[in-house]
Amino acid sequence: MRENRGPWYLLTGLVLGLAISLVYAWVFRPADNANTSPAALEPGSKDRYRALIASAYQADGDLVRAKARLELLKDPDPYQALAGQAQRALADGSSTAEARALGLLSLALGQARSLSATPLAPSPAISPTLPPPAPVTGTLTATLPSQAPPGAFLPAPGTPTPGTQPAPEISPTPAERIGLAVSLTVTPASVALALKATGSSPAGKASPTPGAPFVLSKRELACPQNLSEPLIQVQAYDAAGKPVPGVEVIITWAGGAERFFTGLKSDQGPGYGDFTMASGITYTVQLGESGQPAGDLAAAECAASGPQRQWGSWVLSFKQP
Amino acid sequence: MTRWFLFILAILAGIAAGLFYAWKVNPVKIVDTTPETLRIDYKTDYVLMVAESYRSDRDLGLAQERLALLGSLPPGDIVQQAIQFAERNGYIAADLAQMQALTQALQTGSAAVETPTP
Repeated sequence: MRENRGPWYLLTGLVLGLAISLVYAWVFRPADNANTSPAALEPGSKDRYRALIASAYQADGDLVRAKARLELLKDPDPYQALAGQAQRALADGSSTAEARALGLLSLALGQARSLSATPLAPSPAISPTLPPPAPVTGTLTATLPSQAPPGAFLPAPGTPTPGTQPAPEISPTPAERIGLAVSLTVTPASVALALKATGSSPAGKASPTPGAPFVLSKRELACPQNLSEPLIQVQAYDAAGKPVPGVEVIITWAGGAERFFTGLKSDQGPGYGDFTMASGITYTVQLGESGQPAGDLAAAECAASGPQRQWGSWVLSFKQP
Repeated sequence: MTRWFLFILAILAGIAAGLFYAWKVNPVKIVDTTPETLRIDYKTDYVLMVAESYRSDRDLGLAQERLALLGSLPPGDIVQQAIQFAERNGYIAADLAQMQALTQALQTGSAAVETPTP
């Protein structure tokens, strides 16, 4: 008598093969561990990588290159990531230079977004020692020679470092180019504003707020609805009345001080910055070391319509004369 | 005999399907790595960023600190590897010059450390 087992042995073989291959591929030979991308870095290393990108940007002023590098980190919002890290660096006080570089790059990114839609005239804020970069409009691509491994990252030859680098190529022959293709409109204005925001230009010679020191032009206690904490809200304007990002705001009180920069809260405008007050403390605010101080600022309440306390907000506008 | 042949064929089909799934459809995702594990092109760009920063701030200690994250090799060797990759892959002359300047600074800095002034 012969036993008829049916085709079950085929299923057994298939499952056995699957099990063997999955163990091999996931345990013994997973993806190459020594060829990772910046996106796979652990958070601390990503922060250091981001700070290095900002530092390099501060050195060469090449926004296209900085943007391409930031994209490697695959942050959901590079602008917010930079601004957040800048705030953290300022808060822990470990490296003001790093915080400044991060803040300035985030500002430049924000400016580039808006300026790519509405180009402005070149800003006069650039130091005469720093010639304005050549205007570049179009798709910038990195050239990968034939021997380069497919998909290898090469730095985008973006805006040239003044006086040292050639003009970037503008996508003439796509057949020879693979990898990076950064579509970004860069105008002299965007670079100029980025430099204006820096306080430390690529050459380290441009000033973030050139000209006369900021003076207080408006001071009022505002009573916005649902303000949970008393605030000092600062707006910085240049002589033409335009908001100025990257201005250092110095807040001092008995036994303490805090510094931050305008423009890190993109939703509030490029010249905006704020600070949460503690009750019972009197603060003094000035923009930059030589700005006019605004003193005697303390947490104040507004007339409340309900049983809860209604905090007020000191709104200070500073302007260059 | 036919049954054994089909059985082995089924195993091979299972292996092929499993490898395709494990390597293509759902590969192992490497996360939380350190700069030391970066691919050579990313390492080279990292070195270039260090060189760009060094050109501006002239802080050799900071540059060495940043390069140390790329592995246990001496900083000069790390930069040399990056320069070799950059030369092979057509980096622009200005980038190469910056990395070479960093190499020189590292050599000079090391020499200064090794040869204390009397």
